Amino acid sequence: MLKTERRYQIEELVYRSCLALDAKDWKSFLDLCDAQFRYTITTYSPEIRKDMVWLDHDKKGMDTLFTNLPRHNSDHSPITRHATVYTVDVDQANSEANVVSAIQVFRTQLDGGATELFAVGRFHDTVKLNGSAATLARRVVRLETRLLGYGYHVPF
Amino acid sequence: MSKNAAQWSAKPGFPQTHYVDSRIYADAAIFAEEREKIFKPSWIIACHESEIPGQFDYRLFNHPTGVPLIAVRGDDSKVRAFYNICPHRGNTILYDPAGNAKRMTCIFHQWSFDTRGNCVDISRADQGYQNRFCKEDAAMREVKCEVGCGGFVWVNLDDNSASLREFVGGAMDILEPFMQEPMEVFHFHKAHVRTNFKLWHDTNSEFYHDFLHYFNRITGMMQPGYFDRRYTGFPNGHATVGSMEIRYDKYEGSKDRAVGWPGLAPGGWYMVDLFPGMTYNLRTSVLRIDTAIPLGPNEVIIEFRGLGLKRDTAEERRQRIFDHNMIWGPFGRNLHEDLLGVHGQGRAMREGTDSRWVIQGREEDGTIHDEVGMRHFYAEWSRRMDRPAYDPYREGKPEPVRAAA
Repeated sequence: MLKTERRYQIEELVYRSCLALDAKDWKSFLDLCDAQFRYTITTYSPEIRKDMVWLDHDKKGMDTLFTNLPRHNSDHSPITRHATVYTVDVDQANSEANVVSAIQVFRTQLDGGATELFAVGRFHDTVKLNGSAATLARRVVRLETRLLGYGYHVPF
Repeated sequence: MSKNAAQWSAKPGFPQTHYVDSRIYADAAIFAEEREKIFKPSWIIACHESEIPGQFDYRLFNHPTGVPLIAVRGDDSKVRAFYNICPHRGNTILYDPAGNAKRMTCIFHQWSFDTRGNCVDISRADQGYQNRFCKEDAAMREVKCEVGCGGFVWVNLDDNSASLREFVGGAMDILEPFMQEPMEVFHFHKAHVRTNFKLWHDTNSEFYHDFLHYFNRITGMMQPGYFDRRYTGFPNGHATVGSMEIRYDKYEGSKDRAVGWPGLAPGGWYMVDLFPGMTYNLRTSVLRIDTAIPLGPNEVIIEFRGLGLKRDTAEERRQRIFDHNMIWGPFGRNLHEDLLGVHGQGRAMREGTDSRWVIQGREEDGTIHDEVGMRHFYAEWSRRMDRPAYDPYREGKPEPVRAAA
């Protein structure tokens, strides 16, 4: 596969992951993920001067989280992820690529439709390359935003 | 049958101790009075000692009265607290929320202070002030500061206040056996919510709202022992909640909290609500601390901390963090629900909504769905404010403020 084709394929994987999550299409999102997939949200607190983990699940854990969502009381305002893929570093020897993307998350109020910037950060993705296929093996969401109001139940 | 305007405004058919006039959640004048009468003379948690472990480590704290504070560990390892206000031109001295500063220097004119609050340098002092003003005249304003109740750094703006021990009284006795080992903060975040600070403390002071939480219904309410948990009130408006065995394994995706806590029975869960807006929440493997910092009558910042043991192995800490995040993290199952709940109250009780009463009328012999925890809080609130919470403007006939619940 040509380098440009590979990059296009990886970019599309990142963007499709956003579209699936935006649509709350959990199955489509998980279909983009490798069996060994792991998802983590991290951030740094200048207040306690420590790195923090705010969410950490394997693929099964993410599936369970999604399955449990209807049992909980949640904010129903939709969120929209806007990703821009910055760098794609392909490691041919290990058949994987490390991908860094900027991510902005917007939340739109149901009443009136006002949209606000909810959070900014970066995706640090590891993409598994298997022939012509590409799947998400690891996603670390590194948040800059730590003030999330009354919060949200769905991972970014 | 629905209510008309008169019926909606009529006082609830409960004793006066069992309802609150909801205007106390929206009135700016009452809020200003709360800052002076409630927050100024109360002991408030500024941070935990593990956030400032070394000499000259400092931590900023925005006190609920609005006063910006610095908590700093001195060269003698003692923790002190000062206004983060330069005595020269009223500027902010330290900007970063935490750091290490052997000298605290105001960037504006480079006046410098040591960690005991002494002014150690005034730029070009002799040329400008001659003999009229010197470093001794320019000390920082120190406020009362104690480290206690699990290694937390407490501050009090009232120079004449009682000690922290007197303020807390016996309310922490229920937790003391579990706070004998040094702890460490591993989680900190804030939530900014358009609601009144008392409504957040109410949420921490009653368990009837477990109906909001699927997780708590499955792992607690449906399990043996849940309805035996009891509230105990203490002087100064504090209250505690007894334990039970939470069945974490009943929630899909969760499991028994194997890492536990020294001395605490498996699945144990104790809570201590401290007036006017702090909660200790020891849930099996993690201690969570809430500190409510009101910004206005309908606006509050809540600081959330998660703590483990300082001696934790990497694996134990990882497990505590997982347990914490499952329900209490910013993406956790319970915290979002609780915050959504008080956000909804803030929407419905803001000024002009014609919300009239908040009912706290449940009586179940002091057990878990009894609303005695909230009643106990408002008895103290009424005493300190010299306003009955059920009639804050004394629109009814003059009466003494209500007795404790």
